[in-house]
Amino acid sequence: MTADRHHRQRILAEVGEAGQQRLERASVAIVGLGGLGSPVALYLAAAGVGRLGLIDDQQVELSNLNRQILFEDCDVGRPKVEAAAGRLLILDSGLRLDARKETVGASNVEAIVAEYDLVVDATDSFETKFLLNDAAVLLRKPLVHGAVLRWGGQATTVLPDGPCLRCLFREPPDPADIETCEEAGIIGAASGVVGSVQAEEALKVILNVGTPLSGRIFHHDGLRGETRITTFPRDSDCPVCSPRARITDLSRYDEQVSPRGHVRS
Amino acid sequence: MPEASLTAEQRQRYARHLALAEIGPAGQRRLLRSSVLIVGVGALGSPAALYLAAAGVGAIGLVDHDYVRLSNLQRQVIHSTAGLNRSKVDGAARTVGALNPEVKVDAIEATVDEHNAMELLQRYDVIVDGTDTFHARYLLSDAAYLLRKPLVHGSIFRIEGQVTVFVPGRGCYRCLYPEPPPAGAIEESEQVGVLAPLPGIIGTIQAAETIKQITRTGDPLVNRVLLHDTMAMTFREVRYRRNPACPTCGDRPTVHSLADYRAVVGAEEGRA
Repeated sequence: MTADRHHRQRILAEVGEAGQQRLERASVAIVGLGGLGSPVALYLAAAGVGRLGLIDDQQVELSNLNRQILFEDCDVGRPKVEAAAGRLLILDSGLRLDARKETVGASNVEAIVAEYDLVVDATDSFETKFLLNDAAVLLRKPLVHGAVLRWGGQATTVLPDGPCLRCLFREPPDPADIETCEEAGIIGAASGVVGSVQAEEALKVILNVGTPLSGRIFHHDGLRGETRITTFPRDSDCPVCSPRARITDLSRYDEQVSPRGHVRS
Repeated sequence: MPEASLTAEQRQRYARHLALAEIGPAGQRRLLRSSVLIVGVGALGSPAALYLAAAGVGAIGLVDHDYVRLSNLQRQVIHSTAGLNRSKVDGAARTVGALNPEVKVDAIEATVDEHNAMELLQRYDVIVDGTDTFHARYLLSDAAYLLRKPLVHGSIFRIEGQVTVFVPGRGCYRCLYPEPPPAGAIEESEQVGVLAPLPGIIGTIQAAETIKQITRTGDPLVNRVLLHDTMAMTFREVRYRRNPACPTCGDRPTVHSLADYRAVVGAEEGRA
């Protein structure tokens, strides 16, 4: 039995033989192959998720390597999707990987989200996070959100009919109010913790086991060594997931939502 | 201290650390000068080694006696298919070297036991426990205390994991678990299931705690254990204190060397 790669999950009551087959048939889009995407991709690949969409438009930079453990020193300058696919295939050559060097925007988000069973938001842009949220809600796909900065971060899971990111935050913050990872800095292990939590959430949703972070948000502060989970309800006036939604159609997304992710009145 | 002592390449590689108030150039130099011993290069050791190497820890010792099996690759992401049936420490050393060629890696193919533990641990600043037996945890805890080294403990079982830091004088593994589990108790092994990302969370927190010890920043997980349940997705903190009656770090210790270790963990001897 130990000759079986996924033996340790097959003998886990929460996975079992049927669950492992479910993982093998599942597909997950990982949007962003950076600090969060690295552990997400490694652990979903290791766990045996049959097909992974690797979506990123960037190239590996030396300043990525303090946290993006999917890459190697010699990958600097290569497209991230290509380097990531190479790394994942040495872990398991049987994986099905779609290496998509694309920028996710209003024009392609529907095609991407529709093609996979679940979407992991591992991006570092608030506009893209809200775009993915809106697309996931409108297409009724589960979305696992994550974000990191400095020593910590957050994660939550958006399920069809559950509260969404706009129930919690409504609109993306003003760019003037947010610090980028470049300005504020980040410790690799912070993205490792949040990304691993995202991978756990993705597996639970695919397997339909346990209690996902739906209507709950996980906050991690690695510097204080503190982890909190708070609950949030569905907003009856949510611009995308309530009966009074104003964002109703991805083909008209540009008319309904500003490039910054704010709902047009 | 001026940033000038970092090379241009280091300033780029560690740019995100240099921007952090708690690390900055002085903290990065401290990381580059530090040494960490990771005992066990499996589920917990994989993320711990990757994140410590990425962070620029100067020297990383990897100790494990085992070879890579196919069933390890479900969660031990430092290893690869190419490393199958070969030494874990050699495979891990290659991955770490490819990620950050600056790191000096000591690949130590050995079982840590009462004969070599003191000699091995004394060479490093911080010890990371990535082992999967109760026996090894008591041994490392005693050795780290006797050498007055911080020990970053992590363990997983099925869908749960825990992590804490033992700083000499503020409690040890024996203070947390005075009694070894009864003979025959189930521990992490090939017969116990585990979900792939669980050790990722625990091993990564171990790396973060190690970085905090080295850079002397933040609030370490000392005198508190963080407990994680993956299915419920909960994190809970349990506090503990140094036990004045602890045979190792208590007021009247009876463990003065690892030679005394066998007698103290006698109840476990039948299990190893």
